[in-house]
Amino acid sequence: MADDKKLLVQGLRQRNPEVLDRLIEQYQYRLFRYLLYITGNTERAEDFFQETWIRVLERGHQYDGKFKFEAWLFTIARNLVIDWQRQKKAVSLDAMTDPEEGKGFEIVDEKAESPLQLFLQSESQDRVQASLEQLPAAYREVLLLRFQEEMQLDEIARIQATPISTVKSRLYRGLDALKGLLAGGGAQ
Amino acid sequence: MTNKLHARAETLIAKERIEGISTAEQEWLGQHLRECTQCAERASATQQALRSLRTVSVPLPRELAARTQFRVRLRAQELQAREPRWRLIWAMCGASWVAGAATAPYVWHGLEWIGHRTGMPDIVWKMGFGVWWAVPAIVAAAILLMEGGERSPARDVDGPA
Repeated sequence: MADDKKLLVQGLRQRNPEVLDRLIEQYQYRLFRYLLYITGNTERAEDFFQETWIRVLERGHQYDGKFKFEAWLFTIARNLVIDWQRQKKAVSLDAMTDPEEGKGFEIVDEKAESPLQLFLQSESQDRVQASLEQLPAAYREVLLLRFQEEMQLDEIARIQATPISTVKSRLYRGLDALKGLLAGGGAQ
Repeated sequence: MTNKLHARAETLIAKERIEGISTAEQEWLGQHLRECTQCAERASATQQALRSLRTVSVPLPRELAARTQFRVRLRAQELQAREPRWRLIWAMCGASWVAGAATAPYVWHGLEWIGHRTGMPDIVWKMGFGVWWAVPAIVAAAILLMEGGERSPARDVDGPA
């Protein structure tokens, strides 16, 4: 395991194309799902997906293997989204990341032809999908990281650059909101 | 049963999933859920919500990995092509500094001689000597700025449209 990490660090430092190809294959689903959850838009998630891997190539030497690779990867992806959002919207970072202030970390979908909804189309998932769509992106993000990625609270806090208490608070609120939405039948 | 007990149970149901609970809390919650149908339903609803969340699958866009791999390889080639240029620049800067240090006394005397011959104030030719030393750094900084301009930050930040 430690050897694997060492090889990964070395491969990233050397910008080894084979290592990067393997990583892209290995993490494509998880990264894309994460980006889709936080942007709510397929095309944007796809663009950010590619930009994230370009960043991984360029900044690979900064990964020291102390933490899980996926946490580092998600941090890069998240920062790209926030940078883009900040430039686009010129709103404060706090307002974007905190759903309690306004809409929170939700990119306005100008195109609207390919939202999260179009992507999660399985019949059996309709209700969950509708409920997820109604959740603020910051809640979707923590729920995904905690219950799908099964990350620890400190890892989530590191990705979001927020205190653990904030992560917990978002998780409690997010879970509560999801439960409520599911019980109420999701989107009306 | 008081509302306080139900509220505690509700808190523990969420806490168990989010941050974990102690053995004592687990025992208390287990006991409470066996006795209280309402709270047991809430626990079941939470469990169901999480199960549903885990079942959501996201289909990947076609060839996403392949397209990304291609772009990453192109960028890697671009970066690789720049490396020899950078090595050359640093080598030239180093050589320039060494040459500057070795010739400093001669430059000093030369500038002093020109200064006296042309009658310019001492401060002017002494500043000229300072500029002579800064030339490699100025050249390196100019190249760095040009490189930075080539790789526009807008591509990273504004890329996804």
